[in-house]
Amino acid sequence: MGERLAAVRQRVAPSGRAQTAALIGGVAALALVIVGGTLFPETILGVLLSTLVREPTAESALRLAVPITLAALGGIFAEKSGVINIGLEGLLIISAFVAVWMTDVTGNLLVGFAFGVVASTLLTLLFAVVCIEFRADQIIAGLAIWLIALGLAPFMSQVIYGGPNTESVGTVPTLTKLFGFLPPAGTLPQRLVAPTIGVGPIDALSGVLASVLTRPPLYLADVLLDASLSVYLMGLMVLLSWLVLYRTRFGRWVRASGENPKALDTAGVSVSRVRYQAVLLSGVLAGMGGSALALSIGQFTGNGPTMVNGKGFIAIVTYLFGNYNPVGAFLSSLLFAGLDAMQVGLQTAGTGIPSSLVRVIPFVMVIIVLALVGRTRIPGAAGEHYESGEDR
Amino acid sequence: MDRAVHLDGITKRFADVVANDDVTLEVEQGSVHALLGENGAGKTTLMNVLYGLYEPTDGRVVVDGAERTFGSPADAIEAGIGMIHQHFMLVDPMTVTENITLGNEPRKWGGLAVDRRTARQEVRALSDRYGFAVDPEATLTSVSVGVQQRVEILKALYRGADTLILDEPTAVLTPQEVDELFTVFEELTDAGKTIIFITHKLGEAMRAADEITVLRDGEGVATVAASETTRESLAELMVGREVLIETADRPHEPGAETLRVEGISVTDDRGVTAVDDVSFSVREGEIFGIAGVDGNGQSELVEAITGLREPTAGRIDFEGEDVATWSRRDRIDAGMAYVPEDRQERGVVMSFDLVESGILGSHHDEQFTANGRIDWETAREHASEIVETYDVRPPDTDTKSAALSGGNQQKFIVGREFERDPSLFVAAHPTRGVDIGSTEFIHERLLDLRDDGDGVLLVSSKLDEVQLLADRLAVMHDGELMAVVDPDDVTEEELGLVMTGEEPPRRLDSQRVDGGGS
Repeated sequence: MGERLAAVRQRVAPSGRAQTAALIGGVAALALVIVGGTLFPETILGVLLSTLVREPTAESALRLAVPITLAALGGIFAEKSGVINIGLEGLLIISAFVAVWMTDVTGNLLVGFAFGVVASTLLTLLFAVVCIEFRADQIIAGLAIWLIALGLAPFMSQVIYGGPNTESVGTVPTLTKLFGFLPPAGTLPQRLVAPTIGVGPIDALSGVLASVLTRPPLYLADVLLDASLSVYLMGLMVLLSWLVLYRTRFGRWVRASGENPKALDTAGVSVSRVRYQAVLLSGVLAGMGGSALALSIGQFTGNGPTMVNGKGFIAIVTYLFGNYNPVGAFLSSLLFAGLDAMQVGLQTAGTGIPSSLVRVIPFVMVIIVLALVGRTRIPGAAGEHYESGEDR
Repeated sequence: MDRAVHLDGITKRFADVVANDDVTLEVEQGSVHALLGENGAGKTTLMNVLYGLYEPTDGRVVVDGAERTFGSPADAIEAGIGMIHQHFMLVDPMTVTENITLGNEPRKWGGLAVDRRTARQEVRALSDRYGFAVDPEATLTSVSVGVQQRVEILKALYRGADTLILDEPTAVLTPQEVDELFTVFEELTDAGKTIIFITHKLGEAMRAADEITVLRDGEGVATVAASETTRESLAELMVGREVLIETADRPHEPGAETLRVEGISVTDDRGVTAVDDVSFSVREGEIFGIAGVDGNGQSELVEAITGLREPTAGRIDFEGEDVATWSRRDRIDAGMAYVPEDRQERGVVMSFDLVESGILGSHHDEQFTANGRIDWETAREHASEIVETYDVRPPDTDTKSAALSGGNQQKFIVGREFERDPSLFVAAHPTRGVDIGSTEFIHERLLDLRDDGDGVLLVSSKLDEVQLLADRLAVMHDGELMAVVDPDDVTEEELGLVMTGEEPPRRLDSQRVDGGGS
């Protein structure tokens, strides 16, 4: 299975030259939007620019990135250890529902959040046992996890709340709300609007230059002050994941287990124990993502693909794009979330482009990005079962 | 004397196969001990018992005078045993240091993080102590196979190994790297380490070991001092009977041409011309040998003849018909058998059992079909016939191909191809990685085939093999046939020079060989 996947992924990977071209193209397009949008604010470029730099766009990008990043971190641990966890979507769904339900029952956000994580971890345990103990095909087991959660969460909602959507509960507070001494959001910088100077190209450009130099730090601080605590949790987990993977022995064992399990086994470390730990860790991380997603809105909506709506699968794309590096996965999650937020922004901005077309932007970008992923190196033994002392 | 390792009466059984039968091995501390035997003699199994990968069915493991029971490699490591497997147990994307310290990483901050600086220093110190030139920072993929092997040795030493087991350590090395490895052995034994190495090569055992224990069919045959034995007696111990290192030259009477290749050119996978305008012929009742350093177009030439690769120019006449565009299947049906050079890639399907592997390529043959389906009964009989006639071990047709040792896979493939009753037999490196006994057996069969009046095309990079068997011999260099010579007429040195592209000393025109029949 892993080999087949790897083969497909490798076939998708183009040469380094195509990537360089794509990078240059991307930077050029961005420059065009910034310069063009500044000079001609009335055109579509101007709309794009103002959408890009609006604070709500940045805020919602960060918010949307949380579940994707956390699920991707989970996926990294599992796949680095050699178990492809394609069930991340299901883990997000189940933890999203349980988090809301338990918050509703206990009236405590923290307890609800924790229960979401526990639910996801339990479902992952099932996945781990089936894959590691009973040597099931990881892809099929992962799909099963997704389907179980996709059916179970709305069903439980139906039983408990009488519909696919749950009651509303409280949401995760922002930093400012939690610590009263911090300045309230929005008071730091003046709201950043698209420059409206029409005097001349030179003035306009210098205006842009000035704002580029002074605004971003203030802008960032404002966005961060206004961000939900889950955003900070995400940041912390990205950092911790990187440290664990690259600076602890557990991390080394995880990587060895996914590359050459036999090497780890002969070094006297139990491969199945490392894999269990890594896969369960993926459940914990994805559970945080699902809980954070649901509790940022305060409700679980279970219609169709549920409120998770493919974020678990996007997460897989982001960690591949990030080449299994937690920081890389975070940045690419941010890219996708940003595109998604921009898409929402564009819909409301009224560009004249049909909104259904605008909505497709993130997914088109996913395809383009995937086609350009060349440096992703899938772990050597990903997707393969390992049994100690077998085959000779 | 101090015994570092004493295996006493070890028996290891897998289901109904006995891999080790009451084997005793005593290894003196600070010595190099070779474990010599043919493929499948049970050498690796015995060492896996010592390394805790297998639990013995019966027998005692004594290390440094104390009896031990190893439940896992971790226990063996604990007791000072280190093993370097034939296929390295290394993690490619990691650095040398990360590989060496894997599972034993030094830690800091109360055990939270790996102390990378200490790890690096320790690895460097260890590497320097034994005179290994290994860069601790290099990633594994950037260093040569010889260095990777040293990394494996360092890995064992890092874990405090006093006794090192090396499984076929020279199999992947160049001759120069083999010399270096044996120097490393000396450094290690000087430092009081004990070395056990597994090999099926007589010469290496004689050269590097102090003592040699010979295993045959899972039994310990003898332990001898390397200085007090001869190649011949070792070979006899290994095979169980006298070995004819030279096969008597049997007279032969070549007949009509069965294969004629005319001006053939073939490109390789990258589209580069690998075979350039080559012409030759193989006659009935003759072995035509092609020698040469690997990668000079032999593979592509053989693939073009057998129908696996389409030639860009030229004719291939087989039994009077141009078969250059025929499919592989048509060529099999026409009587062209083929022993491929990569047996695991092209000879058998590793996950098939011998019944299935035995009908590969003849699954459409009438004798194996019944009512449009495969007749498994006949197929099974066919497989057992091959197994019996060609001495494939274990003699069980339900065994998966993957479970057979390399030599036995090869015997099975050779058997299957012989059973096609071919009129042309194309053999590419038929004895590569095969032990003495099986090699001799395969050689005998090839000569039998020739004596029966069939044509044999033998491609090999082993000079002694082609010189021994071939009636006419061509040397291939850089896609061209350098010369067609009578193998009895040239020395190995002369052939060696031709293989590097030198003009041959005496070019024999085919006329002379035609008449003489050597």
